[in-house]
Amino acid sequence: MKKLSLLLLFALLLVACAQLLGIRPPEKKPFPHHEHTAKGGVSCLQCHAGILNATDTGPLHLPTTATCVGCHKTPHDTHECKGCHGLDYVRDEAQMDLDHLKFKHSTHSKRLKDNCAYCHRGVETNSDHVRPTMALCLSCHEHQEDFTAARTCDRCHKDLRGEQVRPESHVAHDGDWLREHGNRAYSAPDLCSTCHADKFCGGCHGRTVPTLPEKLAFDDPMRAGVHRAGFVSRHSLEARTQPGLCSTCHTTGQFCEGCHAKNGVDVASGGRSPHPTGWVGLRGESNDHGPAAWADPSVCASCHTGAGESLCIGCHRVGAMGGSPHRPGWRSKMRPTIDQPCRSCHEGTP
Amino acid sequence: MRGLVRRGALVSALALALGLSRPAHADPYRLRVDTIVYSQSLQSPQSPQSPVGLIILQGDGKASPWVDAEGLVWAGNNSGNYDVLSALVRLHDPRNYVQLRLGRQMLTVGSLRPVHIDGADLRLRSPMGTSVEGFGGVPVEPQFGYRAYDWLAGGRVAQGIGPTTNLGVSYLQQREYGQLSYEEAGVDFALAPARWFDLAAHGTYNLIDAGLAEAGASLAGRFGDLRPEIYASQRSPSRLIPATSLFSALGDTPSDVFGATLKWRMFPRLDVLPIVAARETAGNVGVDGTLRVTLRLDDRGDGAISVEGRRQGSGPDQWTGARVTMRIPLSARVRCSTELELVAPDDPRGRGSLWPWGLLALRWMPVRHWEVAGAVEAASTATATRELNALARLSWAWEGK
Repeated sequence: MKKLSLLLLFALLLVACAQLLGIRPPEKKPFPHHEHTAKGGVSCLQCHAGILNATDTGPLHLPTTATCVGCHKTPHDTHECKGCHGLDYVRDEAQMDLDHLKFKHSTHSKRLKDNCAYCHRGVETNSDHVRPTMALCLSCHEHQEDFTAARTCDRCHKDLRGEQVRPESHVAHDGDWLREHGNRAYSAPDLCSTCHADKFCGGCHGRTVPTLPEKLAFDDPMRAGVHRAGFVSRHSLEARTQPGLCSTCHTTGQFCEGCHAKNGVDVASGGRSPHPTGWVGLRGESNDHGPAAWADPSVCASCHTGAGESLCIGCHRVGAMGGSPHRPGWRSKMRPTIDQPCRSCHEGTP
Repeated sequence: MRGLVRRGALVSALALALGLSRPAHADPYRLRVDTIVYSQSLQSPQSPQSPVGLIILQGDGKASPWVDAEGLVWAGNNSGNYDVLSALVRLHDPRNYVQLRLGRQMLTVGSLRPVHIDGADLRLRSPMGTSVEGFGGVPVEPQFGYRAYDWLAGGRVAQGIGPTTNLGVSYLQQREYGQLSYEEAGVDFALAPARWFDLAAHGTYNLIDAGLAEAGASLAGRFGDLRPEIYASQRSPSRLIPATSLFSALGDTPSDVFGATLKWRMFPRLDVLPIVAARETAGNVGVDGTLRVTLRLDDRGDGAISVEGRRQGSGPDQWTGARVTMRIPLSARVRCSTELELVAPDDPRGRGSLWPWGLLALRWMPVRHWEVAGAVEAASTATATRELNALARLSWAWEGK
């Protein structure tokens, strides 16, 4: 009984939220294309006059109030018809297509024998979503072959970067894209660059970033970003949890030291040492720093680069009491007594 | 001298772009200026978001089917705080068989780590699917600084096998003060045999201290409203810092991750994304998990609410967090957004047991091309018990032909 009640409650909740979840169409009705064409017998060209000869340089051939009052002789008010009838974004999308696509109605209408509904399929179902999807274009156009041949989307898109749209199907930025994007981009740099300029990649990966994209667009919290929200608090936790992650972008020594010194949270500026007791000891004593350094040397490097390295060298140089810090099987093609950092410990050794 | 040459190259590249430009051409040009001001909290007067005043100018456009260019420069309010993120001219044939990029650029070449250089990058592509890329230049140093004898060079050879498969091999050598700092070789592979399945994998090998620097693979499927993905990665932290650092000589303790995600469009406007990952570092295994639910308030997603819970259970510092974000259009020109985050570290070590962070922002587009945004940000962080900041941005964006 209890389970049934819960099920009923869930069903009621679902019905109540149906509008919000997009299960039902929105209350505001789109323009009734179907009422006009199939039921009213109005031809498409009666409202969209001249569309069959339209090129990609405009105009849009959308009906105006004057077109409507040609049939609807007694309008119910003096406002423009488009103020209430039809959804604004449909007109915006049509304008966007005109601005960004190399598309001519004139060439398509001849081939399709003036059958508008072949592409504008929404018209038949009385929907305002009459704009053909890219998938529909691809049912005739060989998109993959075009892209493979020219590594560009210029055949149809005038300026994909300017469109600022995400592909709906073929490379949707789905899931945990922030983590995944690198893996996908390695083999497909051309594909990425069709939409993203160099400065987009450089916005995070560059050495001269003015401010991170999510900080620049602080008014859009849905934008993915590596350092979102209270990252300043979380950064030490995340750095320790994911070894090496910081150093994929930051030169850890300079970057971490610079900020910590500015904020007075490093030891040199009077901050407390982050190391617990027993961090460094003689052999046989508690000596936790070694395993910690092996696990994530980039954390050590965030404070101890440059002059700070002398702390390590004091004990770990050849012949000193600290012993070799290299893990078993260590090998390098650097010259121990000549190249840095090897010579810091190996200089003067045979 | 080298600095002079580098600045000369940048100026020449920009001059070339301007010289070849044809104002009457139909391809669009874009310009954007952003002016941002951040206040600084009294308790942490040097917050990492400084400089507190910033102006960013960026633009890009096509001069002809053969030439396009882009640039981004910025200046902060601190003295001498200005720089160039990108100043690049791209010369190419209309079908992109040959492409030469000159100037300051971001290079993401195969599985090599991204590099920011002042230099040149040449890409050649054959109709049979073979592509060859070579690049060289000086690594970018902030504030136009430079170090003598720093340079890097590398390249990639790739072969596409039909439209579904791509295999690439890449190499990078970087020198600091003339000494070998990075030398790595990489392999990348992508396979997409069907619309519902794709695989991408990469590996980078450290040639200085022989060993695997980084490797990863991701396998994703697409089944209607479901998109499952499984992934694995190995990262060796000692190989991600320059070989000239003492800590690069400690040797390998790689961090291994194995995880899975499932994006599910549960309802037309509701997406659910669970992420689970097991991480192993130095013999310690932990599990991280995230659950994100996003509800779009309209068909286009202009308005949306997202709720996310996260548990970081691996590594020495574990924590639990929750975040709620909202983006709500109040009218066609005004949008309100909020972001709230709560983080509870397992071991706060005297830094407060809960770190809340919140932001309330408003964006207004009074007239075409112009945008104004303002926000208030409040937090209680690990370093400051109370922190209050204000943020403001004024933007102008123009697109023309």
